[in-house]
Amino acid sequence: MREINAKLTQEMGDLARDLLASGEVKGVFGWTKGSRWYLTPPVFITKPEEADQLCYDEFAVNNLTGLLLDFRDSQDKIAIFVKGCDSRGIVRLVQDNQLKRENVLVIGVPCPGMGDKGAVTDHRQAQELPLLAKCLECRYPNPVLADRTIGGVTVTTEPSAAPSGATAEAAKGRGVGSKQADRFAQVEAIEKMSPDERSAFWQAQNEKCIRCYACRNICPACNCRECIFDSDKKNWVNKAATPTDNAFFGITRAMHVAGRCVECGECERVCPMDIPIMAMNRKLIGDLNELFGPYDAGVKPEEKPPLGAFKLDDPEEFM
Amino acid sequence: MSAVDEKKVNAAGQPDPNWEPNIVGFACNWCTYAGADLAGLSRMQYPPNVKLVRVPCSGRANPQFVLRAFQKGADGVLVAGCHPGDCHYATGNYFTRRRFLLFQRLLEFSGIDPRRFQARWISGAEAPKFRDVVTQMAEEVKALGPNRKLREEV
Repeated sequence: MREINAKLTQEMGDLARDLLASGEVKGVFGWTKGSRWYLTPPVFITKPEEADQLCYDEFAVNNLTGLLLDFRDSQDKIAIFVKGCDSRGIVRLVQDNQLKRENVLVIGVPCPGMGDKGAVTDHRQAQELPLLAKCLECRYPNPVLADRTIGGVTVTTEPSAAPSGATAEAAKGRGVGSKQADRFAQVEAIEKMSPDERSAFWQAQNEKCIRCYACRNICPACNCRECIFDSDKKNWVNKAATPTDNAFFGITRAMHVAGRCVECGECERVCPMDIPIMAMNRKLIGDLNELFGPYDAGVKPEEKPPLGAFKLDDPEEFM
Repeated sequence: MSAVDEKKVNAAGQPDPNWEPNIVGFACNWCTYAGADLAGLSRMQYPPNVKLVRVPCSGRANPQFVLRAFQKGADGVLVAGCHPGDCHYATGNYFTRRRFLLFQRLLEFSGIDPRRFQARWISGAEAPKFRDVVTQMAEEVKALGPNRKLREEV
């Protein structure tokens, strides 16, 4: 695994160096090795000699696509490395007119399945870390769109495809996508509770929320230029982090990404208070599939998100 | 005990039998609001628990309006607009239908009784329907009792 990662890192560096040296792109979003062995945070490089900083391994978990919003008003072409889940974020941004497709060079990378750094207790564990839940439940391990690829990864818009490319064997061995069928398990567990238990469950979550907006900031579907939670209009959105206002935030956030959530799971991963944000997103995804037909957000750019369209014969529960 | 709670119980600490639910209705200007107006003109009797907020279209009623109403002390919320096909803006209520079908399920998922949030189609000529919907909802919400979920402490 280590050799494959080293080889991918090498390929990444070479490609980024060429792209920057030839002037084809003005900058490259990628990952770099952080201050701990289990950290591989995002990096943005603009010079060919910085290409050595790039690194790719099982901790390159960040979805970089949200960072492209910094360039939404720019005419510069930017290159970005995407894993399968991240690539749906690009489609999301293009569909939302936040990004011109021609201004971004998408480079697909094979995904080894990302390690859960929350399980790190000891440096000797390096090879033994469990996979993140979102990788076990992954339905799109391969990029849905890419201009270039490295590591022999295939580009496909079909779900349930097995991981491909240089890391495919290792990813399959670790169980990437093996729990696809369980992705609604938590939603079903909450639905089985009584209304009061559900209410108490979410009350407990809302008491934890500190309104840091990390979930909003990393989300490729949360791309409003002005977020209502930044609004200073009186009596509209309360900024206090009380349970009721946190519930208002949580439910509003879920409704705002309803039908547009690309299931990258980043909101839940970055949440410092361990709030099961994806449970709410998945509830909406499940209901949308059930009510208005199956839909996977961020896969086919020509498809309209379900809340942005309607059919005359939609299900009718209002009298 | 907060001021809101005090209103809900009598001196003996029992639930107040005279408690009346507070229902906020978001009514489409072109259908439901006209229907409510007709109900008034026709001197129909209905419970005074519903406070109507006139919106240009039921599609204007944002899910956040509903949440905010619950926060500010509503025990029930009604969103009402034109029947599908009758929208003054041609398609507004089709979006309402999709949005609130989803939202109602999300509220239920959050632990709020689905009877507390309802959506109805009421045309400008359906004054009796408006009366019946309001009467029925007032009875249902009264039976459920005061809403404590999502409510801001006052």
